[in-house]
Amino acid sequence: MNFPGTRPITPRATAPGFARCRWLVALLAALFLSGCENDPHPHALHKSRPDGSPWIVSYRNLGSDPRSLDPQVSYDTTGNVVVSQIYESLLQYNLFKTDPYELEPSLAEAMPRRIEHENGRVSYEFRLKRGIRFHDAPCFPDGKGREVTAHDFVYVFQRIADPKVECPVLSSLQEFVVGLREAFEEAQKTGSFDYDKPTGAITVVDDYTFQLHLLRPYPQMLYWMAMPFTAPVPREAVEYYHGKEGREQFRFRPVGAGPYQLDEWKRKRVIRLVRNPHYNATHFPTTGWPKEEEARFAPLAGAALPMIDEIQLSIIREAVPAWLLFRQGYLDRSGVSKDVFNTVITSGQNLSKKFEEQGISLHRDVDPTTYYLQFNMEDPVVGTNKKLRQAISMAYNQERANEIFRNGIDLKAEQLLPPGVVGYDPSFRNPYRVFNLQKAKELLSEAGYPGGIDPKTNRPLELTLDVIAMDSASRRRAEFDKAQIEQLRIVCKIEENTWPRFQEKQQRGLCQMNTGSGWHADYPDAENFFFLFYSKNFPPSGPNSSRFANAEFDALYEKMAMMENGPERAVIISKMNHLLVEECPVVFMGHPVIFSLSQPWVPRISSNAMLATGGGMKYQVIDAEERVEARHRLNQTQTWPLWTLAGVVALVVTIAIRHARRRNV
Amino acid sequence: MFAYLIRRLLYMVPILFGVMLFTFLLFNVVNKPEIMALNILGPKADEQTIATWLHNRGYDKPLFFNTGEGAFYDSQFFHTVRQFATFNLGVSDATGEPVSAMLKRGILPSLLITLPAFALGLALSLAISLLLVFVRESLLDFWGVVLAVATMSIPITVYVIFGQWVAANLFNYFPAFGFNLEGLSTARFLALPVAIMVISGIGGDVRLYRAIFLEEVKADYIRTAQAKGASGARVLLVHVLKNGMISIITLVVASLPFLIMGTLVIENFFGIPGLGNMVVDAITTSDFALIRANVYVGSLLFLFGLLLTDLCYAIADPRIRLQ
Repeated sequence: MNFPGTRPITPRATAPGFARCRWLVALLAALFLSGCENDPHPHALHKSRPDGSPWIVSYRNLGSDPRSLDPQVSYDTTGNVVVSQIYESLLQYNLFKTDPYELEPSLAEAMPRRIEHENGRVSYEFRLKRGIRFHDAPCFPDGKGREVTAHDFVYVFQRIADPKVECPVLSSLQEFVVGLREAFEEAQKTGSFDYDKPTGAITVVDDYTFQLHLLRPYPQMLYWMAMPFTAPVPREAVEYYHGKEGREQFRFRPVGAGPYQLDEWKRKRVIRLVRNPHYNATHFPTTGWPKEEEARFAPLAGAALPMIDEIQLSIIREAVPAWLLFRQGYLDRSGVSKDVFNTVITSGQNLSKKFEEQGISLHRDVDPTTYYLQFNMEDPVVGTNKKLRQAISMAYNQERANEIFRNGIDLKAEQLLPPGVVGYDPSFRNPYRVFNLQKAKELLSEAGYPGGIDPKTNRPLELTLDVIAMDSASRRRAEFDKAQIEQLRIVCKIEENTWPRFQEKQQRGLCQMNTGSGWHADYPDAENFFFLFYSKNFPPSGPNSSRFANAEFDALYEKMAMMENGPERAVIISKMNHLLVEECPVVFMGHPVIFSLSQPWVPRISSNAMLATGGGMKYQVIDAEERVEARHRLNQTQTWPLWTLAGVVALVVTIAIRHARRRNV
Repeated sequence: MFAYLIRRLLYMVPILFGVMLFTFLLFNVVNKPEIMALNILGPKADEQTIATWLHNRGYDKPLFFNTGEGAFYDSQFFHTVRQFATFNLGVSDATGEPVSAMLKRGILPSLLITLPAFALGLALSLAISLLLVFVRESLLDFWGVVLAVATMSIPITVYVIFGQWVAANLFNYFPAFGFNLEGLSTARFLALPVAIMVISGIGGDVRLYRAIFLEEVKADYIRTAQAKGASGARVLLVHVLKNGMISIITLVVASLPFLIMGTLVIENFFGIPGLGNMVVDAITTSDFALIRANVYVGSLLFLFGLLLTDLCYAIADPRIRLQ
């Protein structure tokens, strides 16, 4: 019997809500399946080139957004990767010559002519190639990039001296380029830089010729002319992109004469570079490649650059997602992070079989860097006692450290100069970098601490080692360093510092010994390393944080810095090396070796470390067809997990419903 | 009500001033700008480069009061206060870009993640907690709570790494990383981060809401409702849910303004260019101007959230009076 106002209870075939949800479920399923596309990159700008051949894109990643794309400002690796695609300098490193590295003309027609003046000053006369154009950009009339002329270099050296630009290498350049210091100081005083007043650094001979004036002979200046700091920028662009009226600032909207131009920069996502259609400054080298690579490179000789049409640089801060994208074929290259080292690299330091079978190749490149343990030469204990420093150097087991903390991949450093740098001697063996505890103890006795005992106190000698401690890994390293030194039966106290505190201590000379010091080559010349021990470079104005001062070393440095390369210079460099090794202001530890992987469709062109951070990208070739095929193979979608998930949900709901039937709320 | 609102707004002024003072002490006095300059310019920066950098950003001015030439208020502190009082957030120390432009750019990507995650998370945790209350004291309830505790105990990075590896790399459903505004199919970039946010947050919520609902189920009015013949579903969805919501609203509303600020870990690992990602970036690059502005905006939002909670509470529960 039915009461009025109530509905009869009849069994229903389906759950009450499902009829209503059906369409929603179908819609969600359709959306899900249509969304099953895991390519994270934005679409390429074009499918094919104007001539019908396929448009080729390179997919790389950066650890962060560059701070600035202003070539006169950018000084970090990330910035350099992008800046060196967009800007072209007068000179560049030869693609194939790495031992030693060699410069060749890029925007310049030929290597510059050196002019010696009677007052001891030196000038370099550069002639520009004709017909080099800046990128097309709205800052030019009709949006067409104008020709690069000698006047642009006057402007570049004015920008370097302008305090508002904040060129990080001004303090180095002003030491040997005429007029920079004066121009900087005047602008500081008046509050603005007068761009109508010449700095005296450059004299324009004609539209395509100019002379760069130096205060004294300084052959390394040519290396500076291969860096983006001295690459030409159009004044029109700097003035047009002022950051107001909806225009971006110049540092975010670069305009140069390089092989690529900036298409878009979506912060924290992607920087997209596209081929500069007018680029003709350089071509693929016609000689110089290794003989065994003849078949590969001969067909490319003299080819127009760049080879690739578009570069997408994804900003990926974390190592895990970057590695996943590489495994899926969505990144062309990858580093080998600590997390994956053991799965990728075998104990024999080769690529593991699984990756080899996929055609991935492993590259091992020595970074032109030297890192070391440093003594404070002004410290009354370690600074005055050469034998003590030598003893510590001999007690430090570098091979073991390398094995434990660097997977045994780094190159042991025996000298200050890393491989490839002019003056590096591969056959040199440092007598104090041989691990020999017996000999170290003897040296310690000679130093006045027999058995590690300080005769003044009759207790073990106590030393302090400052380290940068950020995580458990750096603490483990510090413990290892401590154990090495304590093998001499002296006491080593570890002082942990934050990075800022460590910097401050270095500036003020408050450490006794420290790790975490080293130098990465700005350019491959001995001068760029030996200046770390020149007595006029004490902190805070210079980088000589070991506070090493040696009159003989200084005299040799001053002489060597002004000399052209040759046998005479090589002798001086060797003398300086021996002097440093004997005086032992630092314990040389290693030259990092960087492991990287590349996909089978990205053949390696060159191992030139000076081009590694970006300059070499214009020579890269890519087999796009192989990539499409590999991506398809690597990214097959699985459907069984979805069915499993649906089953689990259905099971839970069924249990709940059955449960509910048994009892009321 | 209106007077209450005004009074609460006025309370904010001294609090905000305190926040300004505190962040100023933290970022200009305890942590010296010289060190920040070193962090931004890199270890190779020398004295002259650092001095120029500090000068161009006014970090070489006196800290609190200018005792030298010029007005006494020509100092770093007054400059910061003036900026924030006029809601001018200044420019980033690292890149020189206006902070307000950076904030504007980050809000949409952040909201695209946090809003769906918030709505979905709330709906799911309400549904599951009601289900658990529905089957309370059963095996399903027991294992449900165990599972909730388990999901609570796992750190979010584990979800992220596992999610990226399984859903994106093994099954290839979604991009493992990245973000692109491309209309409807933007969803493929959002699905995984949103799912991870929902799953990682659901355990705690379910446990809490279940406890709240269990309290309600035992109340007298529920027995009355049952006695009057209301069905089990109606009792749960109308009576229990409605009364339980009073407590839940206060919890939920306070978190609303923070949806704008995004999430640190998720945005960082998935490359979502939101505000959370910006904060991580600011911290790693020592961009103090950006951190200061974020702290200021964050505290504004926090105060706003508290106010909103009080107002909602009064609206949801008429027994509460605002004095």
